Amino acid sequence: MADTLTVRTAGITTVQDLGRVGRSRYGLPANGAVDQHSARVANVLCGNDEHAPLLEITALDFACTPSSDILVAVTGAPADLTVDGATRPQWEPVPVPAGATLRVTGIRRGLRVYLAVLGSFEADYLQGSCAPDTILGFGPALRDGDELALRTACPSLDHPFSRIPLFRLNAPVPRFPTSWTIDVTDGPDRADFGDTGRRLFEAPFTVSPQSNHIGLRLRGDVPRRVTQGEVLSRGVPIGAVEVPAGDELLVLHRGRGVTAGYPVLAVVTATGLSALGHVRPGQSIRFRHRTLDQAITAHRAQRGAVDALRTRVRTAFDALRIPVPAGT
Amino acid sequence: MKVHVLDGHVTIADCGDSALAAKVAGLDAEDAWRFVHALADALDAVRLTGVHGVVPTYDTLLVEFDCARTDHDTVRGVLRHEATRIGTRSALDSARTTPPRRFVVPVVYGGEHGPDLPDVATQLGLTESEVVAIHSGSDLTVRCLGAPAGAPMMDGPAFPGPVPRLASPRTRVEPGAVAVAGRQAVICPMPSPGGWPLLGRTPLRVLDLHSDPITVYRPGDTFRFVPITPDQWDDHADAPLAACHG
Repeated sequence: MADTLTVRTAGITTVQDLGRVGRSRYGLPANGAVDQHSARVANVLCGNDEHAPLLEITALDFACTPSSDILVAVTGAPADLTVDGATRPQWEPVPVPAGATLRVTGIRRGLRVYLAVLGSFEADYLQGSCAPDTILGFGPALRDGDELALRTACPSLDHPFSRIPLFRLNAPVPRFPTSWTIDVTDGPDRADFGDTGRRLFEAPFTVSPQSNHIGLRLRGDVPRRVTQGEVLSRGVPIGAVEVPAGDELLVLHRGRGVTAGYPVLAVVTATGLSALGHVRPGQSIRFRHRTLDQAITAHRAQRGAVDALRTRVRTAFDALRIPVPAGT
Repeated sequence: MKVHVLDGHVTIADCGDSALAAKVAGLDAEDAWRFVHALADALDAVRLTGVHGVVPTYDTLLVEFDCARTDHDTVRGVLRHEATRIGTRSALDSARTTPPRRFVVPVVYGGEHGPDLPDVATQLGLTESEVVAIHSGSDLTVRCLGAPAGAPMMDGPAFPGPVPRLASPRTRVEPGAVAVAGRQAVICPMPSPGGWPLLGRTPLRVLDLHSDPITVYRPGDTFRFVPITPDQWDDHADAPLAACHG
């Protein structure tokens, strides 16, 4: 019988990956992990392909038990990670013995935690991805008692002093501040807003409860379009800051519909989108203007740090004689 | 920077750190639409490293990429090159086209299924039945697949003016909702948020998640809306959308 990971406390947890890319021409949104950086790092810490299925745990406590020894990595927002009650580090590979209970509790200063397992687990795919699409009704949230079939067996990781961490890989951990600043570049319709465009940077905006992975609604001193006329629907990028005629801004996230017709004042940067995935309804955020060069440099630095981590993981796994999972 | 093509030009604008948008101006709507779809085909064929999405719509092509693997200048250069190549009358006329197919779509207008019909009629200075007659009075061409979830986005019906979008988008629109905005028309295949005024709803099932692609219609196909009464809803309920023959 295949080894499994049994969900004890599901909270709000889904099987995720980096998203359904390449299908936007057919009207399908990308979706995928809202904090792409944390999801990528979790898989890399397990030696997995960065696109491998992993768990996205949102806000609420989570617990699971494997039927065999596994190696996991937990990234994302700060939380309390324990294995049979013993505290374990986030952002490092952590062995979990067969039958032990892994708990993620007290998620704070952010909204989402990612849990990857060495070798990953089986998942249903739609159009090339296991990422849930709530519009299509694909990818249900996990429930208590669900069993995920593990793809590969993990070697037992004996450690004579089990309280001493096996790994010290120095993964790139982003900041989880108490108040969020989100980087944006100018949008293609910036000129439509005249001087009112500056309002985006002059005061904070409050995240409305009607916010999710599709988009966030923000209340505040909303810039006003000074030009007239309806915009023909066109493709809009993930991160588009749209300004409808009402009193809220829309910020499109990874589940966004691929076309829209509201003017796009600004676009959240690639690194800003990962941060925005951690903002809670009711919190306020500030926007910070970046040039394209600044935004691209920040993204490349973040991705370069993940590439360097992947090399350190290979070296550490070789030293411990952990086979790197197939397909990576 | 503008690239001159035919009688018009293409402008390529930055859309954040991971996308560009090429917009055609100066061509008629039909040529602009054919141009951006031919440009999308060309970019797909080039398979440029780092580019992972092309979204051709009416007069605009959005190109999505990973800015860690490519950059704006590289993608912009390829777009300009391909735009110049396509931008002659003979190249545009010979761009790949598949024969259009026709879909007939029954719609219950107004009432609970089309709550914005009265407002749209008022905004256009028409009666509700005039709005229905125009919306169902001609074949509408599908121009692209868009939000939500592979929705067929069509040319709008021949209303006397554009239809304003809702000031505050609805958080949920029912599947099969038939909507208009600006000079466009759409069917929402799946329950989703939406900012388009709703005229009615079709009982047909628009998408099949278990086929690939998930839609039976393609850009260039035509839709004809046919009014039905609420009593006739059950005659069509959950039947799959299918092209007409002959």
